[in-house]
Amino acid sequence: MDVKPGAVAAGGDAAAGLISSPNWITSRLDDLVNWSRANSLWPMPFFPACCAIEFMATAASRYDISRFGMERLGYTPRQADVLICAGRVPFKLAPMLRRIWDQMPQPKWCISVGACASSGGIFDTYAMVQGIDAIIPVDVYIPGCPPRPEGILYGIMLLQKKIKGESILDPTLRVEQLPDERGMFLRPAAVDELSEPFGNSVHQTRSA
Amino acid sequence: MNGASPNPSAAALQARFGGAIVGASVSCGDTIVVVARERAHEILRWLKETPGEAYDYLVDVTAVEYRDRERPLEVVYQLWSLPRRVFLRLKVELPKQEPLAVDSVVDLWRGADWLEREVYDMFGIAFRGHPDLRRILMWDGYAEGHPLRKDFPLRGRFSRAEQVRQALTKTPEAHHSVEELAVAEAFQQLSNDARQKLERAGGPGGA
Amino acid sequence: MGEKRTLELELATPGVDAEGRPIRVPLGVAEGRRAAAPDLRSELMLINIGPQHPATHGVLRLVVELDGEVVSRVIPHIGYLHSGFEKLGEYRHYNQIIPLTDRTDYLAAPSNNVALALAAEKLMGITITPRCTVLRVIACEMSRIMSHLVWAGTTAIDLGAFTVFLWAWQPREGIYDLLEEWCGARLTTSLTRVGGMMADVPEGWTARLRTWLQGLPKTLDEVDTMLARNGIWLGRTQDIGVVSAEEAVNRSLSGPMLRASGVAYDVRKDRPYLGYETYDFEVPIGEHGDVYDRYLVRMEEMRQSVKILHQALDRLPEGPVNAEDPRVILPPKHRAMSDMEAMIYHFKQVMEGVSAPVGEAYMAVESPKGELGNYFVSDGTAKPVRWRIRPPSFINLQALPFMAQGHLLSDLIAINASVDIVMGEIDR
Ligand code: SF4
Repeated sequence: MDVKPGAVAAGGDAAAGLISSPNWITSRLDDLVNWSRANSLWPMPFFPACCAIEFMATAASRYDISRFGMERLGYTPRQADVLICAGRVPFKLAPMLRRIWDQMPQPKWCISVGACASSGGIFDTYAMVQGIDAIIPVDVYIPGCPPRPEGILYGIMLLQKKIKGESILDPTLRVEQLPDERGMFLRPAAVDELSEPFGNSVHQTRSA
Repeated sequence: MNGASPNPSAAALQARFGGAIVGASVSCGDTIVVVARERAHEILRWLKETPGEAYDYLVDVTAVEYRDRERPLEVVYQLWSLPRRVFLRLKVELPKQEPLAVDSVVDLWRGADWLEREVYDMFGIAFRGHPDLRRILMWDGYAEGHPLRKDFPLRGRFSRAEQVRQALTKTPEAHHSVEELAVAEAFQQLSNDARQKLERAGGPGGA
Repeated sequence: MGEKRTLELELATPGVDAEGRPIRVPLGVAEGRRAAAPDLRSELMLINIGPQHPATHGVLRLVVELDGEVVSRVIPHIGYLHSGFEKLGEYRHYNQIIPLTDRTDYLAAPSNNVALALAAEKLMGITITPRCTVLRVIACEMSRIMSHLVWAGTTAIDLGAFTVFLWAWQPREGIYDLLEEWCGARLTTSLTRVGGMMADVPEGWTARLRTWLQGLPKTLDEVDTMLARNGIWLGRTQDIGVVSAEEAVNRSLSGPMLRASGVAYDVRKDRPYLGYETYDFEVPIGEHGDVYDRYLVRMEEMRQSVKILHQALDRLPEGPVNAEDPRVILPPKHRAMSDMEAMIYHFKQVMEGVSAPVGEAYMAVESPKGELGNYFVSDGTAKPVRWRIRPPSFINLQALPFMAQGHLLSDLIAINASVDIVMGEIDR
């Protein structure tokens, strides 16, 4: 937590110069709420494929995700704040992902770990969703195939940063996205555009 | 490479089944025997149960479609004899003009169950006598076809938006398990809204 | 092992036999419960586990029919991770398929890389160099250890012991470091190329591998201390999910699943590749075919892998890692830049790929999960007509309904864990 003079003043060493008594605290409510939200994120792990193994490494001995207040991997969407989608999401799995997202209470965020979750990765095939942003809104994309644990931790820190910039008074932030009459969350043209192949995959899969 | 001597089982099959053996060859050291579709099951049983052959371990069942559209599809059985340590590949050709079907070998090897379901799912080849021939990797009601066929485009037949829409509008329950959940029998006892939900999903109530 | 731990052990242990193996506690409990169940029979209950569930090791979905707490039927549903590997392979050159194999069984990527390269080499008739052969053995055995370590850790979590996971992950991080040094990636290694390796091991790497190998048996002993004689572990694994030898063969099980049932089928011994016949190692065989025997088999396999790794390091010859074959091996960069002929080879390989002769090849290796086969059919072009993976855990998982029938719901989790599934390989 970075203490901004004037914004947050708490009893203790950090604010010793600003206040006379340790028994009171002044802060913008936003900062307080965001600070507590950002530092006690309860992840909902959605772990279909290989990236999950790197996430496990992040949670295990060496990288120790509990330093970020995130070691409580919930496995129940109803008690989670951040959906971590680590791995590829085929169409067959898409409704489950959406359902889990719908079951999570607000406020909620989503981290997409790895190339597959973010863009379909090397799997530009008939079976794969080309990026989960066609199904659920994503806050942080972590690149890599798989991202290194350091990358995952950096993504988590980015999300914390993003949360700290939010305002609890902003009504647009916590609106639930509802499906349109076609059952989709984005316009079809937008989905098509998001799913366009890019980079190498164009060459590699179109040359046959 | 093709100089390796063929597995003696090929000659034994030729002697025993004669006309049912369409051909035998060696590729990369492995013997391949192509057999007539109608007698494939009988031949596989013979290979499994004859003491001198003893191909008791079914390694794999799969299928091949060639880029040449004229060539028939092939169902491929990879066999291994645990006591004799010999490998044999058996093939059945399925011309495209005829219905793509072959007898199931689940009664010989329980292990063939999912393998045959996968071939059915990916190639549309039916296995006669299979106890539970359903799609296994794609979901029931997958509308685009059989993905590993050569006329199936790599990205599927539909646009990405349509694929996402179809995936999202499937409720997870509707994917395949309604019958297995034995709801079919209990359907009438269900609550009204559960029944309606099933009907919308195309479950047993709708059928 | 410290004194104190041994003391605690004695309290929990039912004892060991002359060879130091734990004596089995007779478990009438499961039998008794099964017999008691019919009295309570009223209505079957259906529950759905997965596809998003921590104990299904990925996105497996199990529909379970319960009679009280006894499983009367399990129906596994798979395909939630179907990504179209085999179709994608038909659009790629043989070397371009190697990165795909990383992502099938992602717990043990190097052995998949080796399996694919061996199949492509069999198809093209390429002989690899002695150094490459030994390096591949090292890669295969390292992946066996890293896969079994995760297996031990996650299975222990499923049965309520978290410590093993943390302990098992320590040496795995060591392997990650070694692999990273070798090829730059921790998980998705793409270690091999058709006809060779993507790189030789760096300076001093073998010494570091040896150091790491020295530490591993200690970890294995620690894990054994925690589990092998732990009363809870014994109670939850012995006589659970029993498969007889005939059933195991009939259901085409392979790997530790098959060997725990007492069938001594190991591709390394029965259809040797990479010169495995010249290494001195044992294939551990179980006798009861239950979850506990699968655990013992896997633990022993890791010890045997350590043995093989030591032998491989001892014999690792000097010399090139890539075959002397300009058709498949890229010329060194400096030659491609200065020598016309080398440049043409470079250009042809990169643009057209390496074409394989007309034919087909099936090549099996003993991956940590079982017999991993790659089946290529070629029509003479640079891209296979068909690339088929024989997925060991797909076929092993098939036996789950059979194994779980009549057991308690909580045993279902143990049985499922004992199969050692990786959804990436099952669904492909
Ligand atoms: S991004 Fe790479 S490592 Fe992650 S799930 Fe996709 S293929 Fe696997």
